[in-house]
Amino acid sequence: MLRPEEKAALSLRELYESHGYSFYKMSRFEEYDFYADKKDFLASKAILTFTDINGKLMALRPDVTLSIIKHAKDSGEIQKFYYDEKVYRVPKNANSFHEISQAGIECIGELNNESVRDVIELAVMSLRLIAGTRKCILDIADAGVITDLLKGNQKRDEILKCIAEKNIHGLKNLNAPEKLIMLAEIQDSPDKALHVIDEITDSNCLKVLDGMNEYYDEIRIDFSAVNNLNYYNGIVFRGFIEGIPESILSGGEYDNLIHMIGRDKDSRALGFAVYLDLVERGYDSHD
Amino acid sequence: MLNIALPKGRLGVKVYKLFADAGYEFPGMLDSNRRLVFVNEELNMRCFWVKPFDVPVYVERGTADIGAAGKDILLERNPDVYELSDLKAGYCRMAVAAREDFTDDSRRTLRVATEFPNIAQNYYAGLGRDIDIITLRGSLELAPVLGLSDVIVDIVETGTTLRENNLHVLNYIADLSARLIANKSSYKFKNVIINEIMRRLEKNS
Repeated sequence: MLRPEEKAALSLRELYESHGYSFYKMSRFEEYDFYADKKDFLASKAILTFTDINGKLMALRPDVTLSIIKHAKDSGEIQKFYYDEKVYRVPKNANSFHEISQAGIECIGELNNESVRDVIELAVMSLRLIAGTRKCILDIADAGVITDLLKGNQKRDEILKCIAEKNIHGLKNLNAPEKLIMLAEIQDSPDKALHVIDEITDSNCLKVLDGMNEYYDEIRIDFSAVNNLNYYNGIVFRGFIEGIPESILSGGEYDNLIHMIGRDKDSRALGFAVYLDLVERGYDSHD
Repeated sequence: MLNIALPKGRLGVKVYKLFADAGYEFPGMLDSNRRLVFVNEELNMRCFWVKPFDVPVYVERGTADIGAAGKDILLERNPDVYELSDLKAGYCRMAVAAREDFTDDSRRTLRVATEFPNIAQNYYAGLGRDIDIITLRGSLELAPVLGLSDVIVDIVETGTTLRENNLHVLNYIADLSARLIANKSSYKFKNVIINEIMRRLEKNS
């Protein structure tokens, strides 16, 4: 008997496979050093370690993306991978390590608009697949424009927190840049929101959504999706499913990371993860 | 059904009155009995009293779609929720206070008594000051008077309690009041009704 989480994992794998992504099976352990200098890019700073029989300090994988990009070829060629793995992290407010099931995709290389659209399409399709008859929403934002607007701002961290909380009164109290407040107020499907954004900024990162009408029912431009600006530099998104209290999908473009490990300047990377542990949470909803 | 968590106590009563004035009434909410859950079938809403400190937990986990919580509690717990509006009820401030005769000796670790260890930690981390946190559950004014701590980080409304204990405010850390918070997922899927509640509450506050 398959549990809902396992069923979801299988259908996601099928979906990614049918879109030309190839399965990436990785080792459960990596050398600790590999993660130690990349902690800025990890969701939780704590890493579960042990000493291997040869005396090397090893880590139980806290993250999948890092391993995949390390093993990806360093050429402009577009490489598409998907995974279905366990990672080991200390979730927010928890006091111990947890094993977390994740499935997701990574698309690496000299990406074009086509490849970006393909990733967004797969994100919406992943949500639809898990949601079944329930509703789902993919919040999308442009992390780059926020980074630019906050350059040199002393209150950067406080302002970012307010954006994530849709705390408009807080942004006003902090005297956040007017343009940033206007962006934070947006929560609409692309057909309505793209014109508004056009008037606020020159950044054309979100224009890639133009024409994806098939997905406009689920896509919302919403800057509360912006998080971890060290990691994400371009499009960033978060997916929600009715009845599941937290976001079940999260991802975006993370070029900084691949440049940091020495990849070519023209290379880009885009991906997302689906938190499979949350799939079952939707089933014991109180109403 | 929309679920609303309100904080038991004085602030909760103020906030409930805002809800009632905005047309969201739950008969029996203010009666003095032990009932905690109140349903208004007509509105298709359920309202419940929880401990003030727990409001963000109910909302973050989606048991409540929205709730009202003091900013002090939001700063302390740092929940992953939307803070939709300032209800402007229960205005007060988070402050550092000490005895009138206190002088800060920066060579020593500062002993800080508080009910809000995270707020105190963040405040002093921002100043680069090494502190020893003493977490208490009330009657904070006693700590500096009896020599348990050098300063306290606590909520100050009028300052009367401080004055009566010969304490005074050294610094203000944050402005506090009741905030309307929402579960991030609920806000997506119950957007129309939550925005309507927000609009009506803001009109009245």
